[in-house]
Amino acid sequence: MTLFTTDDCVLCAQLKKQFDLSAMDVQVEVLGNNDAGALAHLAWHGLVEKARKGLPILVLDDSSALHEFPHIESHLLDRAARCGVAARHAGNQAGCESGSCALQ
Amino acid sequence: MGVVMPLNAETAQARTQRVVNEDSTDIALFVRSSQDDMTGWNRQRIVDALLRETFIDRGTAEKISRDIEVTIQAGKVKTITGPLIREMVNAKLLEMGLEEARRMHTRLGVPLYDVDQLLVQHNKENANVPHGPEATNLTLAEGIKKEYALLHVFSPDVADAHLSGDLHLHDLGFIDRPYCSGQSLEYIKKFGLNLPHALSMAKPAKHAEVLLAHMVKFAASLQSHFAGAIGWDAINLFYAPYLEELSDDGVKQLAQMMIYEFSQQAVARGGQAIFSDVNIYWEVPKHFVDVPAIGPGGVYTGKTYGEYEKQAQRFAWALFEVYKEGDAAGRPFFFPKPLVHITEKFFKTDGHMDFLHHICEVASVKGNTYFVFDRGDTAKISECCRLSFKLEASDIEDAKQPWKMRYSALQNVTINLPRLAFKAQGDDTKLFALLTEKIQLAAKAHGQKKKFIERLMSLGKGGPLSLLAMDLDGEPYLKLHRCSYLIGMVGLNELIRVHLGQELHDSDESIKFGLKVIAHMNIVCNKLAESMDMKFVLEQTPAESTSFRFAKLDLAHFTTDAEKVVQGNREKGEVYYSNSTLFNVGATMSPIARVEKEGLFHPLIEAGSITHIWLGEAQPDKEALASFVINVFKYTQNDQIAFSPEFTACLACGKTSRGLSEVCPYCESKDVDGITRITGYFTKISSWNKGKLGELHDRYRNVDRFNQ
Repeated sequence: MTLFTTDDCVLCAQLKKQFDLSAMDVQVEVLGNNDAGALAHLAWHGLVEKARKGLPILVLDDSSALHEFPHIESHLLDRAARCGVAARHAGNQAGCESGSCALQ
Repeated sequence: MGVVMPLNAETAQARTQRVVNEDSTDIALFVRSSQDDMTGWNRQRIVDALLRETFIDRGTAEKISRDIEVTIQAGKVKTITGPLIREMVNAKLLEMGLEEARRMHTRLGVPLYDVDQLLVQHNKENANVPHGPEATNLTLAEGIKKEYALLHVFSPDVADAHLSGDLHLHDLGFIDRPYCSGQSLEYIKKFGLNLPHALSMAKPAKHAEVLLAHMVKFAASLQSHFAGAIGWDAINLFYAPYLEELSDDGVKQLAQMMIYEFSQQAVARGGQAIFSDVNIYWEVPKHFVDVPAIGPGGVYTGKTYGEYEKQAQRFAWALFEVYKEGDAAGRPFFFPKPLVHITEKFFKTDGHMDFLHHICEVASVKGNTYFVFDRGDTAKISECCRLSFKLEASDIEDAKQPWKMRYSALQNVTINLPRLAFKAQGDDTKLFALLTEKIQLAAKAHGQKKKFIERLMSLGKGGPLSLLAMDLDGEPYLKLHRCSYLIGMVGLNELIRVHLGQELHDSDESIKFGLKVIAHMNIVCNKLAESMDMKFVLEQTPAESTSFRFAKLDLAHFTTDAEKVVQGNREKGEVYYSNSTLFNVGATMSPIARVEKEGLFHPLIEAGSITHIWLGEAQPDKEALASFVINVFKYTQNDQIAFSPEFTACLACGKTSRGLSEVCPYCESKDVDGITRITGYFTKISSWNKGKLGELHDRYRNVDRFNQ
C-alpha cells in the first residue's frame, strides 16, 4: 500500500500526523523536485494526471486507488485497527484553499 | 605574432549590430563580383576584411596581406577568386596560431562536389521535401545557415555536443525562425489578410471560399517564418459562421477545397508541402461555448460559438467524407492532418457514436485520423507529429478572444539516450548524472537560440521576422514570453537494453526503470524552467532522421556497445534507435497492451506523445476501432493514437492497392511506390531515409488483431 504525498500538501500532513504509517506498513512516496523514483512509481500506477488534480492518493495492494480524503482516512483507520496501531479521527478535515494539495 | 583582441560581449554585440545595420545586398554583390584577375589585385581588401571581421591588429593584417601577395605572385596563379584568397588567408591565420580570428573569418559555403551531388541526388533528411530545383535551393540555404548557427549562435560546447551526437539541435538550417506555430483562424477572420510587405491588403473575408484562400496564404506565410508545423485550432467550429448559407453539397465542396489546397501545396518553401494540422471537435469545447462568434466580414454574428454546434459538425463530417475518398488516385491525403479531440464532452454530445464510426472508418480505410485524448478538464491544441500545447489558465482566458490564441515552440533539442547508457556502464548514479548534464546543455542551447531570435525580433517591422512582429491585436504575433522550449529523447528502449539487458516490452522492471528515466527528465526540466524562467517541456521527438543519425554516430564512435543494441539492418546501413519512449516497433504485442504500456509514459511528457498502431494491409471494422478508441480513452493514460495502413501506388496505371507490394496487382507493373506513415505523417516510402526504411521492415503489423 502506498500513500502519494508532497511536502507542501496540507491534507497529506494531516494524515501523517494522524497515523503511524510505517507501523501500518504503508509506504509513503513524497512527490517533489528531487525524487524521480516517486514520480515514476506514480506514473506506473497511471496516476500522474489524478495527482495533478489532487493529493493525497492512496494506492491499495490490489493497485486500485483512493482519491477522496474521507475514503483514504476511513481506509487507514480500518487498517490501523487491524494492525493494532493507535490512530485518531481528525474530526475536522484540514482545508486546502492554497491549492498545494496537488502535484505541481 | 599579432595581437588578438579579447572577444568580449560588448564588442561582439557592437560588431553584430554593425553587420545588421548594413545592407546585406552589398555584401552579397561584393562576394560574387570578387573575381579580379591579377591586374585588378588589391592587397588592401585583405586588410580591410581582416579588420572588419576579426579583432587582429592592423600590423598583423598588413603582414598577412603581404605574405598572401607574395604567395600568389610566386605561384603564377592565372585566375584568383575571393573565396580562394579567403582560404589562403585562413590558412595563414592558422599558421600564425590565430584560431579565434580564423573562426571569425571563416567562409561558409559548400564544396563544388557536394553541390553537384545535391543538384542530382534526392536529399532524404525530411521525407516531406521532394526533389527539385526549389528543394535544392532549400538544402543549400539550410547548409549555410546550419554552419552559421553552429559557429555563431551556439557556444562551442553546445555545437560540439550536436556534432558528436550527444544531442541533436533540430532545424539548424532554420536557425532564424521559431520551431512551429499553433493558432486560431480567428486572427485572419478578424483582421483579414494584412501581412507586412504584402503587395495588397485584404479585408476580413465575407465568403467561406475567400476565408479558405486567406487561410492557405497565411499558412504559407507562416511556413516561411517557422521551421515546422502550422496547426489550426477547432477549425470546423471557427468556419461554422460562414456555413449557414451553404447546402450540404456546398459544405462538402469547401471541405474538398481545403484538403486539396493543403495537400497540393508542394509549390511552397523548398517545394515542401506545408506541414499542416487541423484540430477538429465534434462538440463545442467548453472554453468556446459562450464566446461571441465572428462571421463574414469580420463582424460579430450576434450568436455564440455554442450556437454553431450543428454547422461545425456538418463541416467536420464533410472533411472526413473527403478524407475517406482520398485523392484522384484513391491515395490518402498527406496533409492537412486531422486531429480529432476525444473529450468527456464528446461522449455527451448527440451523434457522437455516428461520428466516431465515421472517423474510425477513415482511420481504417485511409489512416488519416489522429485520436487526441483530452481527459478531465484538459484542453489542448495539437500539431506537428505529436506536439501539443496544453491550455493553461491564461490560455483559457485568451479563448474569450480566440484571435489571441497562438502558441509556439521555439526550438527542439533531443538527447541521445543510448549513448548515456554506454558511458554509465551500468551505474545508475552515473547514468542520471550524465542525463542531468545533457538536459542542462540542451537548456543552454535553448537560451542561446532564444537570445538570437530576440535579437531578430527586436528589429521589429523592418527586420527579417516582420511577420512575427506584426501586432494587429496589440501584441506581436509571436508571443516570445510564452514560447515553449522542447526537450526530446531518442532511444529509451535501447538505453534500457544497455543498462538492464532487456527491452522495454520484456518486463515490468524495464518499464519501471524507463519511467524513472523520463521522470528524472521531467523533474530536471521543471527545475531549469524555474531557474531560467523559460518553459522547458518534454516532447517525444518525432526523430525522422535523428534516430538514424544517432545510431550511425554511435556505431562509428561506440562501436562495440552500439553493435549490440542498434536496431535495423547494419549490412544495408538501415540502422536506427527506437523513437523517443516507443517500445521496439517489432515487438509482438497486442495493440491495447502497446497503447496501455506506452501510455504510462505520456503524462510525464507534457508537450505530446503518440502510439502508432501499424495495420499493414488490414482494414479493421469501424465498430472494432471505435470500441478500441473508447477503451483507450477510458482505461489508459495514452495521449494520442493513430492507425497506419499501408498502400501501393502504381505509377504506371495510377491505381492504388492495399498493402505494400513490389508489383502492381492491377497491371503487374514494377513501377510502384509505397505509402504509409513515417513518424507522424503519411508520405511516399521512396522519400524515406535509410533508418526509417529499416524501421519499416521491422514493424509488427496488427493484421488480424481487430477482427478476432
